[in-house]
Amino acid sequence: MSKIACFVEKYNFSDPTEQAALQNFKQAAEKLGQEFQFLFREDISDIPKFDAVFIRATTDPLNAAYVVSKTAWELGLKVIDDPESITICGNKIHQYALLEKYNVPRIPTIFLNKDELHHKKIKGIFEQLGKPVVLKAPYTSFSKYVEKTACESSFREVAKRFFKKSDVLAVQKFTPTAFDWRIGVLNNDILYACKYMIPKGKWKHGAKLRGKATFTWGRTVALKRETVPSRLREVALKACSVVGKGLYGVDLKEVDGDFVVVEINDNPSIYAGYEDQKDKDIYARIISYLSA
Amino acid sequence: MLVVSNLDLTIDSSVVKPSTFLGSTIKEATLNINNEYRYLKTGYYVSLHAEVLGNKVIPSCENIIDSSRTPVLLLRAARAGIPTLPFLVTDSVKKIATEMGFPAVLFAVNPFIYEGFKTAHNKSALYRAMKSLGMNYKFAVCAQPLKGEMVTFKSFFGKCESQDIASQNISRKLYEAFNIPVCKLHIQKTPDEAFLCGLEPINKQELTDQDLKTISKEVMLFSEQGDTLVVQNRLFC
Repeated sequence: MSKIACFVEKYNFSDPTEQAALQNFKQAAEKLGQEFQFLFREDISDIPKFDAVFIRATTDPLNAAYVVSKTAWELGLKVIDDPESITICGNKIHQYALLEKYNVPRIPTIFLNKDELHHKKIKGIFEQLGKPVVLKAPYTSFSKYVEKTACESSFREVAKRFFKKSDVLAVQKFTPTAFDWRIGVLNNDILYACKYMIPKGKWKHGAKLRGKATFTWGRTVALKRETVPSRLREVALKACSVVGKGLYGVDLKEVDGDFVVVEINDNPSIYAGYEDQKDKDIYARIISYLSA
Repeated sequence: MLVVSNLDLTIDSSVVKPSTFLGSTIKEATLNINNEYRYLKTGYYVSLHAEVLGNKVIPSCENIIDSSRTPVLLLRAARAGIPTLPFLVTDSVKKIATEMGFPAVLFAVNPFIYEGFKTAHNKSALYRAMKSLGMNYKFAVCAQPLKGEMVTFKSFFGKCESQDIASQNISRKLYEAFNIPVCKLHIQKTPDEAFLCGLEPINKQELTDQDLKTISKEVMLFSEQGDTLVVQNRLFC
């Protein structure tokens, strides 16, 4: 029997569908004869008591989740998300540099250093990528810190804001589509497949709608994993192979009949009734991987 | 060997500016000298760029991140034989008060605070310290027992300005384990022992002309060793 700690923060229980998904993980573990326990920030020092750690709290090299991941990894525990995946996925500059190095199809991207924020460079970027462009801070998650800009003054305004935390940013070609593919991958294999629909009149999956205070998300349409087009499967798996062998959610867009990677996420969202719509066994598969 | 630095080093061979290196594809073993190896800052991106190019680089991205996360620093340091004290990572005042007691020394574990520490000799001081380092109890802290006196000094290539042998050993061993060429160390001194407590970047203003000379001398020594650049690449092997 394997003792699995699931590292969570209070906010993981604020959405009922996420809470239900966490209970599904617990049930799946118990059904498979494993022990599954939620581990909160207060008890991080208890990690050595477990055999495996499954992180559901938001990961970033600067978050407590990284401390949890690296501690578990150093102690030889099985861990999702492992520290290397957090390091690569938590920094989009790192990730895009690797996608470029290994020639994975991706959205055209240019890196911008803090001291390059001048007219000539910005003009060159607009010439190369067209207008508008998408500015992305390396630490983006949940569609935040990703903004569209079509003129130099707003480009400068957004870039200055993002440069407060990171000395390098990514600028991408604006590629509007009706939906993003979200392919869940575990240990080099497809775990689930969804279409994250873009809300009407918007350009990203999570968007602030006029007149509403909170973020609104587009619909999630799931497909059975066997029905994923083979080229999509190939690109998604190639993208993950650049990062590691853990659990990822790859976002891809279909452009001119082919697929390009938007980004690879570690710690992908798994909400009951969304990602698990068609493949109900995703909970058991993740638990089996952790207890193997 | 390529030397990339944002500092005014006084060495014979050429030094490449970080911005020049980031825009290049120079494939050569890289020594990255920066006063501040902070995640998401230029010092980090230089090492990242070198790693993606396939260059051997000092320091590695993994070591940059781990050395600034106090609990990971202490865990890895202890495993490398460096004297450390037992620590707790938690956001619970009660847990520290009951399981560790007083006095205690606390370091932040959050994305915003990267320097300094606080000491607490009683529960109300602990509340105050956790409120400030945990940013209104929102984040965890790393607590260690306070057995002696906290001292802070600069460390260049594992050599430190302290006259104390135990502190010198910590500085040297820590450099062997993490390869951070320029940093500041927080050490706890008791009459007979010394324990590593934390590591943080140095502000550029804190570097004196003498410090820059010392770093330059070390860089020269390093360059002379040339291809013997030994890089620990633990994760990526």
